[in-house]
Formats: sequence, C-alpha cells, structure tokens
Amino acid sequence: MSSFNLYSRGDKVFGIINATLLTLFVLSTLYPFIYIAASSISSGLAVTSGDVLLFPKDITFAAYDRVLSDPVFWTSYANTMFYTIFGTLVSLAIIIPGAYALSRKRLLGRRYLNFFVAFTMWFHAGMIPFFLNIRDLGLLDSRIGILIAFACTAFNIILLRNFFESIPESFEEAAKMDGANEFTLLWKVYIPLSKPALVTIALFCIVARWNGYFWAMVLLRDEDKIPLQVYLKKIIIELNMDDQFASSLINSEYSFETIVAAIIVASIIPVLAVYPYLQKHFNKGIMMGGVKE
Amino acid sequence: MSSNINNKITGIGQILRKDWQLYLLLAPMVIWFIVFLYTPMAGLQIAFKDFSLFKGIYGSTWVGFEHFQTLFNDELFIRSIGNTFLISLYSLVFAFPMPIILALMFNELHHAMFKKTAQTIAYLPHFISVVIVAGMVVSFLSPTTGIVNLVLDYFGFEKTYFLTNPDYFRPIFIGSTMWKEAGFESIVYLAAIAGVNPSLYESARVDGASRWQQIWRITLPSILPTIIIMLIIRIGNLVEVGFEYIILLYQPATFETSDVISTFIYRVGLQGSQYDIATAAGLFNAVIAFILVYSANRISRKLSSSSLW
Amino acid sequence: MNSANVTLSVSNVSLKKVYKRYGSTEIVKGIDLEIGAHEFVVLVGPSGCGKSTTLRMIAGLEEISDGTVSIGERVVNKIPPKDRDVAMVFQNYALYPHLSVAENIAFGLKLRKTPKDRVKAAVDEASSILSLDPYLERKPSDLSGGQRQRVAMGRAIVRHPKVFLFDEPLSNLDAKLRTQMRAEIKRLHKRLQVTTVYVTHDQVEAMTLADRIVIMRDGKIEQIGTPMDVFLHPANTFVASFIGSPPMNLLDGKIRKSDGKVAIELNDGCIVPVPHKDGMSFTDGQEVRVGFRPEDLDVVVNDQNHTAPMNCSVDLVEPLGSEALLHLQIAGQSAVAKTTSHGRSSDMSGIANTTQVFGNLKHLHIFDRASEQSIY
Ligand SMILES: Nc1ncnc2c1ncn2[C@@H]1O[C@H](COP(=O)(O)OP(=O)(O)O)[C@@H](O)[C@H]1O
Ligand SMILES: [Mg+2]
Repeated sequence: MSSFNLYSRGDKVFGIINATLLTLFVLSTLYPFIYIAASSISSGLAVTSGDVLLFPKDITFAAYDRVLSDPVFWTSYANTMFYTIFGTLVSLAIIIPGAYALSRKRLLGRRYLNFFVAFTMWFHAGMIPFFLNIRDLGLLDSRIGILIAFACTAFNIILLRNFFESIPESFEEAAKMDGANEFTLLWKVYIPLSKPALVTIALFCIVARWNGYFWAMVLLRDEDKIPLQVYLKKIIIELNMDDQFASSLINSEYSFETIVAAIIVASIIPVLAVYPYLQKHFNKGIMMGGVKE
Repeated sequence: MSSNINNKITGIGQILRKDWQLYLLLAPMVIWFIVFLYTPMAGLQIAFKDFSLFKGIYGSTWVGFEHFQTLFNDELFIRSIGNTFLISLYSLVFAFPMPIILALMFNELHHAMFKKTAQTIAYLPHFISVVIVAGMVVSFLSPTTGIVNLVLDYFGFEKTYFLTNPDYFRPIFIGSTMWKEAGFESIVYLAAIAGVNPSLYESARVDGASRWQQIWRITLPSILPTIIIMLIIRIGNLVEVGFEYIILLYQPATFETSDVISTFIYRVGLQGSQYDIATAAGLFNAVIAFILVYSANRISRKLSSSSLW
Repeated sequence: MNSANVTLSVSNVSLKKVYKRYGSTEIVKGIDLEIGAHEFVVLVGPSGCGKSTTLRMIAGLEEISDGTVSIGERVVNKIPPKDRDVAMVFQNYALYPHLSVAENIAFGLKLRKTPKDRVKAAVDEASSILSLDPYLERKPSDLSGGQRQRVAMGRAIVRHPKVFLFDEPLSNLDAKLRTQMRAEIKRLHKRLQVTTVYVTHDQVEAMTLADRIVIMRDGKIEQIGTPMDVFLHPANTFVASFIGSPPMNLLDGKIRKSDGKVAIELNDGCIVPVPHKDGMSFTDGQEVRVGFRPEDLDVVVNDQNHTAPMNCSVDLVEPLGSEALLHLQIAGQSAVAKTTSHGRSSDMSGIANTTQVFGNLKHLHIFDRASEQSIY
C-alpha cells in the first residue's frame, strides 16, 4: 500500500529544515518574555546568580509586592488608562468626521484639503517648533494637551477616508431619500458600515497611546500626570544605567532585576489582553494601508 | 471680470449654506492640523533667528544662515549625520531582508496550527513599547547581573558592559529592532504572497519543480514589486531612525556611534534649550527627509504606476 | 380585505425640456415626458444614454440643469429628495448590512420619527406583501439575491411614496431569478398601482413590464409607446434594432417605381415588392433600408401573396430546439432568420444548404437611409 506521494524526498527535507528554523525563530522571539516572566516570580538571589534561565526558582511574589506598593506605579497606570481611553476617543471624534468630509466628492477644494492632510506625512516642522508651539499654547504639563496634541495622524485619516470612499454611493443616496441629514448619515450609516476600519484605527490609537513615552516625557513635569511608560523609563532605564543603584537594591527576596521584570509584566498584561483583537484587525489594517492619495 | 469673481463667491456661499453640515464635520480636523502641525511650520523661522524666549518667535531678530554655519562647523553635528546614515545603511542591509525571508518561510509551513501560532508570536513584539524593549536589553546586558554576561561568565568569557562600548551599539540597536519588528513587517510580504495565483504553483509542480525552485521561480518574482516598493519606502525614510529608541539605549560613552541627528536635536534643543540651533538642525533633517520621501514616491509611481500616498 | 390591500395616493410625473449638463457636456438633452398616475413607464436604452441621470433627476439626487420636473402639481426642481414623496430601489439594493431586514425596512420611517406602532404596522404590511415574514430578523447577508431585492422594495413601499423609481434593480440577479422577480415587480405594481419609473438596458425587461416604453439614445428620447407599439411600429432604425431579439435585419436598397408599383432593389438586384399602403410616398431612387424581423424571414413560403424571395447563403445554423437561427448573407449584408422549418429534427443539413429566404411582406419595414426614420 504505497500512498500517493505529494512531495519528493528533497521537498520533505526542505520542509523539516524550514520548520526547524522557524521554531528557533519563534523561540528566540518568545524567550525574552519567558525569561522576564520567570525572573519576576523568582527570588532576587536566584536571578542575580544566574540560576533562572527558563523556569522560575524560589518562587516568590516579593518583587510584585514591592512594585505594587509604589503609589507612583498606580498613579502612572491610572494616567495611562486615562490617556489611552480619552485620547482614543478624542482621536476618533476628530478623525471620523474629518475623514468622512474628505471622502465626499462634492466637498469644495477636496484636492487641496487632501494635500493639506497628506503633506504632513512628508514634511513636519520637527521637534523644537512643535515643542515651542505646545508651550505657546499653554499646554505644557497639561493632561488636556497630551490628549489633544496627538489626536490625529495623516495616516489614520487617509486610511479611514479610503474606506469611506469604498462604500457605494447608493447608501448615501438611499439614506438621503429616506430623509437623513449629514449627521444621521454619518452616525447611522457610515459609522456602522465602517466598523472594521474604525476598530482598526481605534486599535492603532490605543497601542500608540499605551506605548508612547517620548512626548509625555518631554511635556509632562508633574509626577502625578506621567503615564506608565515614562515611569517605566525612569525606573528601568535611568536607574539601571546607574549600576551602583542596581547593586544597592540586591537583597535575597527581590533584586533590581526581578523588580524590573515585575514592572514589565504588569505593564505588558493589558497589551496581551487586547492582542487577540489586535491580531484579528491589524491584518485588515495593513491591507487597507495601501494608503493612496 | 469682477462680477465673475463675485458670482463665484456667492456660488461658494450658497454651497456652504446648503452643505454647512459637511463643513462643520470637517472643521475640527482642519483646525487641529493648523494648530498642531502647520503653526509649528511657521515656527521654523527661528532657524534663521537669534531666538529669545522673551521676544518670542516673531519678535526675535534675523541672523540669516548663522546657525547653519555653526552647525556645519560642529564636529558633533557632522558626526550625527554620519551616524544617521550608517545606522540606516546597516539596517537596510541586515534588517530589510529579514521580513522577506520570514514571509517566505511562513509560507512554506503547511501545518496550519503551527503556522498560526508561529505568526501570532512573531507579530507580538511589535506591540511592546520601546521602553520595555530597551528595558529588556539593558537588563539582559547588565554587566553584573544580566543574563548575557552571566552566560558569558559561565563559559569563561570576560564580562563586558556592552552598552558602554561604542562598537556594540549598532549591532545591539539593529538586532533588537529586528527582534521587535521583523515578524510584523513580514505581514506585507505574506499579503503579497497570498495574492499569487495558486495555479502557478500547480503547473510548476506538474513540471516537476521542487519547493526550493518554486520559491525562486514563482514566489520571489511575484512579490518582487512589493519588495521594491518597500525598499523605496525604506530609503525614503532613511533619516527616520528610531530616535525614541536610541534615546533609551545610548549614553555619552557611545555617542560616537549612537548619536544621530534627531538625538542631537533632542539634546541641544530640549535638554540644552538652544532652540534656534536645534531648529536649524531639525529643518535640515526635515528637508533631507522630504527630498528622500518625495523622490521615493516619484520613483515608485513610475515603477508601479500605483503611488504610495 | 386585509390591511395589505391599500390603495396609495399616487402622482403623475412630468418632465418638461429637462437638461443635464456636466460642465460643457450635455448628458440629457431636453427630455419631454408625461407619466400618468398609476402608470408603469420603463426607460430603456443602451448603457450611458442618460437613463439613470434622468431617473436621478426625478429622485432629486442630481440637480436639474434646465427645464422642470413636476411630481403631481408641484415643480420639484428645488425640493430635496426626502420631500419629493418618491422612493427608489437601487441596483445594488443599498441594504444596511448591520441592520436586520425589519430594521432595514423601517429605517426611513424611523428617520422621520414615525411613532413606533405605525412603524411596526407599516413593516408588517410591507413584509406580508413581499412575503418577507420569515426573514424579518435576519441580516441581509443571510438572504438570497431575490430576497434582498424584495427587502429593497419593502424599504421603498413602507414609505407609501407617490412614485416608485427603480434603477436596474434586476441586473445583479441571475437569469432565472430575474424572470421571477420581474413577474413579482409586475404583480406588486398591479396591486399597489403606484406610478413607477423603471430604468433598464434590457429590452426584454422593458417589453414585459412596461405600460409604456421610453426608448432613449444619447440623452434624447427616440420613441415613446406601448410595448407592442414600439415593437410593431418602430419609429426609426435605432428603435427597430434595439427592440426585439435577435434584432431586426436591415438591408440597404433603393426605391424603384414603375407603373404605379413600388419596389425596392437590393444591392444584388433582388426585388422586394412594397405592398400598397395609404399615404405612402417614395421618390424613385430613394436610398432606404428594408427591415425584416428574423421571425419574418423563413426558408419556406408561408403566405404566397405576401412574400419576397431573396438570394442568400447560410453562414451558420444555430439550433435552439423548436426553432433555429440561420445566419445569412443577403446581398452582401449579414442577416438572421428564425425558422421552425427543420421540423424539430436534428438534421440541419436541409436548411444549411438553403439559397433562398422569403420575407413576409405583411411585416415589412422601410426606413429612410439618411434620416433613419420609418417611412412605411
Ligand atoms: N458626474 C458625472 N460627470 C460627468 N459625466 C457623468 C457623470 N455622471 C454620469 N456621467 C455620464 O453621463 C452619461 C449617462 O450616464 P447614465 O445616466 O448613468 O447612463 P445610463 O443610461 O447607463 O444609466 C454617461 O456617459 C456618464 O459617463
Ligand atoms: Mg444606469
């Protein structure tokens, strides 16, 4: 009974080599996460002496106790939640109507307006004029400033505009004959019809807000206002570079390493929680991202 | 003549009145762009001014190209230009091919479950913030307690503080960026591969082509347009090295290889408050970026008849 | 009898010298059309001739460049679509995928803030008329093409419009469904008696549905009439070749008059006698086109007294079952004859070797070659 041979021997060898290499790649992608997770629940001593490679050793939650008892950690966590949720809402509130208007053929000066938006993808004033402008607007060290100043990107607008344009005009016409005005049309027809695109853009905004640190670091002075990433930066980069501080922390229960690991785990968990949704949508987003003017 | 213009204006007035809802929807976005992106462009003029905080952007006195002269006489600035291009060049050589190879490899996986899992894991690091990635790098490479040095030590090598050695900066930067992005960037190529007509493979198999030959003869040529477009985008973004990440990883000891134009601007402008000089450097950067992106777009328009923007 | 058996108040529609221009290009060039209340009028013509544009001007979706459109007594040029009391069914149905069938049907009423119970009653009524009851809670994506089409019609009828507008509503359906839905639209019109303007490029649809057909070309009306009217008396060669399938054969010829008798000489010298008709007038040597419908050309003689034999050669025979199509050359021009003379046998060799076809002079058409107008 010889079965039908779909692949030659060489092809089978090829398949095995390929699978092996990819397995190695996947493991090397995964390893840092595993190591961080393992060391976050190991004792400081075990980690600093190199006993933790893959599995946790002397399991303890001391590092988490230490991290979670820091009030600044919680403030910054809450701040990030605030910036992420409201920042995304502000973004959508500006992007959706704007992209909708840009997608209407009868809009006066549509070509120029499209250029007006797209031009900012090619040319931007740069860090200093942007900073001075924020300062002149009185938005330094302001939560509102963080919410508004980073609300739009040309990319997201063009992405959504293209999606709106792909919706057949007869939807608009049918709704207009039914008596819809521009607002009901957008709210009751275009937004529901564009759910996949909107979810994608919302996810882009959420990830950008959750992960963004640079401008928050530059613009916010008050420790009460800083988001998680800025806090993380303070702890794990600035202090770690300072080797003496790091070694001063070592005690048998937790060490600087395990504390950093615990912070990292705590800040990644929300990303991991939304990751399945993200994955479902970013493929679509990339496809739509054939951004054209 | 003037009545013509008047007609036009009343015409526009009528349209605005009839369609005011549409323009109301548009307004917030336009205002946002003016306030947050176009106003700073006006602020670029301080590149040619002796900027004083008291006189403000518009009140400061003009100094012509003085700041540019200063910059181009500044070894550190020249060094940052060199570093920018070198880092870009190295990532072009080492990081650019990686997602293509990955996509080809993913495509050759026939076990659906394994393929899906592998892709899920490969995309994940893209969504981790640079702060955390930098934190991991710093912590792994720590001279006393980092796992890399512990392992080196175990095998009898000397412990090194990688992050203070300029020779290691670029490999560390490019390597960790690849770890973060290569998997995710493969999506574009996977999409291109998914668009290849399956009957091409079937007929190749009937002709006796091996899988290796199918990759070289069918898959690669089919996704070549995508590869070229991505390459052009990459070249267009040459000056856009990930400075937010560099700032996290570099230290004075490695400035020699790690200081790029954007980090130079950051240090001189935001940390050193020399706004006018930093703006001049930023303008230089933006103009180069614009020229590169613009030409890249023109070239890709010619090559693919489909433009990027 | 039941609540679904309502008569709606309907309007006539009247177009006077209606023009549509985009910049300097004229798309619709002065259309005059009176559509009576309850009437079913079909605009038909090749694609791009301006049918949709005309319909959309009635709907209010396109501005009217010149002329007037009235619905009932009211000139509607400046009235927005929602206030014109018209409802439209689109080619792609424009059903909202996120709403159920019932919500789709109710959408327009809800926008108008109709009270809930009235909305429900109207939806029930529409769904019973269109037999949509079992599907009310489904999403459009779970419906077949024909059902979606019915939902689109439901959305139109709940509003009790004075005029229905259809723009190629059946073009997205396969042939079999199209026939079925055609019948359904006709039944619906019989039942509701709403004035209907229906656009299609398919002459069969036009023939089967219309009370009156409006044949358009290039932004102008070529002929208006009942289906049989335009079929039997096409006003010009365009209508003659547009209505009827396969289209009418048109053969070039010249008028020959002798002894008070009129005949037409084809290019190969064949003579087609023209039976006398009151009021006919020709000049000798006039260049004309002779028209025979394929069913009026046969390889056997059906009626001795009204026949015109013509020489031909057969290019191709297409058996269709009970009929066969013969692709012919007559006087150097191609023509098609539809015949039943092969007696439903599978042997086509007899008719394939025919050298003569006979035109039925009872159904002879003559058009002036220069003006293309019918002259007989
Ligand atoms: N917005 C427009 N601008 C310019 N020309 C148009 C526009 N809309 C339609 N046309 C042209 O008008 C003509 C008639 O279109 P239409 O009414 O849709 O034809 P149809 O008879 O196929 O429904 C077409 O040639 C089309 O190209
Ligand atoms: Mg049409």
